[in-house]
Amino acid sequence: MRLTLQMLISHGRVARRIGLGPHSRINMLRNILTGLVRHERIETTMARADEVRFYAEKLVDYAKRGDTDEKAMKMASFWLTEKDLVPKLFKVLAPRFETQSDGYTRMARIPNRQNLDRAKMAVLEYKGNPFPPLYPVKKRNELTLINQLLKGYREEKAQLLAAKD
Amino acid sequence: MAARSVCRQLHRRLCSAAVAVRPPTAEVRSHRNAVFSREQARQRALYPRVEKIEVAMQGPGLEGTLLIMNKGMSTPLSCAQHLTEYHVTNSALALVDGELWPLLQPLTHSCSLTLLTFKDSDPTLVNKAYWHSCAALLGQVLETAFKDDFTVELLSTPEVPVTSGAFCCDVVLDPQLDSWTPSEESLRSLTRGAQQLIYQDLVWEPLEVTPSVAQEVFSHSRYKLEEVEQKAAQNPKGRVMIYRCGDHVLLSGGPLVARTGLCFQYEVTALHTLGQGSWGLQRRAQGLSLPLQLQAHHTVWSKLRQRAAKLFGKNREDGVGCSQPPREEQAAVFKSCHQRHRHLLESKGRSIFKSLKVCSRRCVS
Repeated sequence: MRLTLQMLISHGRVARRIGLGPHSRINMLRNILTGLVRHERIETTMARADEVRFYAEKLVDYAKRGDTDEKAMKMASFWLTEKDLVPKLFKVLAPRFETQSDGYTRMARIPNRQNLDRAKMAVLEYKGNPFPPLYPVKKRNELTLINQLLKGYREEKAQLLAAKD
Repeated sequence: MAARSVCRQLHRRLCSAAVAVRPPTAEVRSHRNAVFSREQARQRALYPRVEKIEVAMQGPGLEGTLLIMNKGMSTPLSCAQHLTEYHVTNSALALVDGELWPLLQPLTHSCSLTLLTFKDSDPTLVNKAYWHSCAALLGQVLETAFKDDFTVELLSTPEVPVTSGAFCCDVVLDPQLDSWTPSEESLRSLTRGAQQLIYQDLVWEPLEVTPSVAQEVFSHSRYKLEEVEQKAAQNPKGRVMIYRCGDHVLLSGGPLVARTGLCFQYEVTALHTLGQGSWGLQRRAQGLSLPLQLQAHHTVWSKLRQRAAKLFGKNREDGVGCSQPPREEQAAVFKSCHQRHRHLLESKGRSIFKSLKVCSRRCVS
């Protein structure tokens, strides 16, 4: 769910219409969210990934309340259609994101679907998963030649400034 | 023993006699080349039969790779050629059983091999070797740039850490040039000379020799003879490394990288006068360079090269503004120049450099 200008003036109808109706939409999102919690990284159409993202983050927020909380348990058992994932949600995902207050998921566009309908596709994942990173990791190496040269340059600048004062 | 000392004395006397009447530069050059080639051929002939050695490669993505190579013939570069093009173009040095090894030196025993690049997690050794190589290139440029009437004596290159911002090369020019102050244009033409060498993509051929051979190579230069003895005394094996790049033979303090083509940005930034030494008026040429794999944006480069123009050491602040003499007094120094510029230069003074293609814009304006 993204708050754009178009969304703001859409008189409260802020969600996409997916599936055959409101119930169908909720069921579809439940299934996708279950898959996300099980595999931690899934590939789906961009619209669905974007819709699920909101619920995936909300679910972790509830899970952080702890498994003794009634509302949290109700939410978990509603959104996870496969009940063996409920312990995973409380024991794995909630502790993982304890230090974060939001932004538990990451979404990345991938090339459009080629075989069926050329739909926009995306990858949705929970952060901190064990898979290889989606984006190439930026390597910062202080020891490369140019960084060493720049280090010397900065040190000299700092010395000059200190000498002036 | 006595015979040996007599021989050494005689050799030294012969050498000093040779120094006294120094033969023309081209002759010195060809002599050095000839001795180098002869020694290289002798060392290659030490392995007449093709014997096989096993080289275990190490590095990311190469675990478990075992190459069967030829003893005394295959170099780390030929191992890289069995891998991918990336390894050929990016490796600068090799590590054989934890020991630094020039990329073009033949392997002599079964070993484990690591190819080092500029983008390793710890490229300190490569950086050092690169700095040595750039200084060697600077020395080569200085030696070849001047006209044949002027002798150029290269002194040992001082050890300079990379963080100091520039590599340097000490040189004693001909006494006739003591009053010459290098202008911006002459620095630019030196830069141009270095860039031509880089463009030619010459290799630094390494050769480990005994001090006597090295002394024969440098028999025309008294300074180099002393340096050879020093280097041999420092080395635990009592041997010295000499390198050849194109037709220039040099004595190196440390391993050099594989090719001149690894340099990308290269600039001779300053030529300072250090003062009267025991060999004549000492000058220190300084430069800055970056390899092809690590390029700098021009803003960063200009900052770095401003810093590289300053003189090292205690009188660092004094040497900042190398005073420029007025135009008329500047003597042009290169051997051959562009037609138009030669015109301009001849009207102003004598030319002492070989080529002056670089000074185009400034000269015209």
